[in-house]
Amino acid sequence: MAYVEPFALFDCSLARQAIGSSCSNLRDLLEALRSAPDTVLEHHMMRCALDDHFELYEFPNDLARWCWDALGDRLLAEQLGLVDPYQHPSMASVRSVLVNMIEDRLWGLERVPWCRPGLELHLISSRVIAFDTGERLGTLAAFAQALPGMSVRSLYFHVHESRRRRREGADDFSTWLELIGADAALVNRLRAVDFYFLNLNQLRQEFIDAFRYHLADPNILLKVTA
Amino acid sequence: MKMLDRYEEVVGPAEVQRLRQLAARLGQRRIVHVNSTRSGGGVAEILGWMIPLMQELGLNASWEVIEGSADFYRVTKTLHNGLQGLPIILRPADFDLHLENNRENARRLNLEADIVFVHDPQPAFLPRFTPKGKVGRWVWRCHIDASRPNRSVWKHVEKAVLDYQATIFSMAAFTRPLPCPMFLIPPAIDPLSDKNISLSEEERMETVRRLGIDPDRPLLLQVSRFDRFKDPLGVIAAYRLVKPYQPNLQLVLAGGPADDDPEGSEVLREVMDRAGQDPDLKILLLPPDSHRTINALQRSAIIVLQKSVKEGFGLTVTEALWKGKPVIGGACGGITLQVHDYHTGFLVHSPEGAAYRIRYLLRYADKRRRMGRTGHEFVREHFLLTRHLRDYLTTLLCLDDPGEGALVA
Repeated sequence: MAYVEPFALFDCSLARQAIGSSCSNLRDLLEALRSAPDTVLEHHMMRCALDDHFELYEFPNDLARWCWDALGDRLLAEQLGLVDPYQHPSMASVRSVLVNMIEDRLWGLERVPWCRPGLELHLISSRVIAFDTGERLGTLAAFAQALPGMSVRSLYFHVHESRRRRREGADDFSTWLELIGADAALVNRLRAVDFYFLNLNQLRQEFIDAFRYHLADPNILLKVTA
Repeated sequence: MKMLDRYEEVVGPAEVQRLRQLAARLGQRRIVHVNSTRSGGGVAEILGWMIPLMQELGLNASWEVIEGSADFYRVTKTLHNGLQGLPIILRPADFDLHLENNRENARRLNLEADIVFVHDPQPAFLPRFTPKGKVGRWVWRCHIDASRPNRSVWKHVEKAVLDYQATIFSMAAFTRPLPCPMFLIPPAIDPLSDKNISLSEEERMETVRRLGIDPDRPLLLQVSRFDRFKDPLGVIAAYRLVKPYQPNLQLVLAGGPADDDPEGSEVLREVMDRAGQDPDLKILLLPPDSHRTINALQRSAIIVLQKSVKEGFGLTVTEALWKGKPVIGGACGGITLQVHDYHTGFLVHSPEGAAYRIRYLLRYADKRRRMGRTGHEFVREHFLLTRHLRDYLTTLLCLDDPGEGALVA
């Protein structure tokens, strides 16, 4: 088998910027979705995962959460919650789906839903700043041992960002594991994780569970997580 | 022991290592922070830890403080209030005094740097009076909610902001449309400061006993200025609604004396009147340096309230969450970023809402404890000074390499 470089562990930070506009009602949101830069959509649909912390958070994106919490439009929130941006080839495609969904909702409403003052959706643009931590994981066992202590930002970079970075749309972890000849069942299980609908702590746990199931010596993980 | 080593014990060695790695990419960048005072107030507190930590990370950071007459500080205090939207009156001569002071300070201060962070409106006009080429980039760090400012004040401050390459605000809700990038860096608490450090059980007990609080009975606490926006009367109303169901309940409203604030004095009088002779309701007027006393009170409370109707970021909420307390907070400002229903506490909109949630939390000790643990971890992840510092480093990298795509540093 050809030599495979050890896994290079990256971390990342988000530089968030306000764009100076906000939405108070559903019509504002529609206008924002039509005209805001891609980086705003990316933030509120994807990078907001880095702001997320709690288990059982109802929705995986800011737009669904805002419609549920601030506008009280539960039907639309449910629909928006199901839009998975990672299944789309481009942000233009995500934008088109979101705009269509909200236009359709507005079409059927007699009154435009508004939020209370103070609960506006303030539009944010963000940028990922990634950096090499210098940590190298050379074997399956080393990788498994590192997983429980990995920062949620590393997980985001190697799972979420990776899907957009890599043409084949895979995460960095399973790609590397495949290269070193890890058990195909483990690789496939990692790829099958429905990562968009999990927060980053839950995602880490899913991965740990997968390793625990497929590793010849699951005690490697137990030792670390105990 | 170096400062960063002490924080390693709180956030873990990996987090501190990441800070070192980010900072290494900035080299020995010369960074100057400028504000209006070296002690007192939140900005001085932040710079007090940020400068030495940046230095430990290898950055060439320093701190400059502008000087001015009492009249200048009267004007800038008014500007500060006006920027927050309070009705104020300033004469053209007051605006001129602001400019003239900044011209003098630009001559006096050592501002030669790659990046100068100017904090709040007091030194905002320094770029205008600093020779071109002396400073690589100017960044205005606004710690105030400037979303609905007094018009004349904004017209004045906006002229200063035009000379900056970027700005930093605490929350998107605090910004106004500006022609330069508006980075967002929420504030943070210092887990090792007197206000937040772990206290011995003896010190905590001694403090609450000294203040006449029964340590064996449940205590509700609100720490804030006596200000209508903090709704202390609403807190008393909520306490009174719960008291018949929990006769052993105690309430403490802790704030500073309001000697120089006529409206504060009036609110304090109303609060005293409303409190009446209830022995279980205490109004504490604490000196500004009572950090360990506040710390002990927060650690002794069963639930912490911050029932504001208008709020900045609400660092008292962060402090309470760090101490493992569920928080019942008014749904406004930065409280909404920190208090998440059923996770770290409850957001409320009325005294009745607060009373209902107090009864709920008093009834369910397990939920109270779980929220306390979640809140503590939430603050560790998002609102400690290491994250604050990381955001500054990230912003510096972005300023070096402007663009939209992911940046691999």
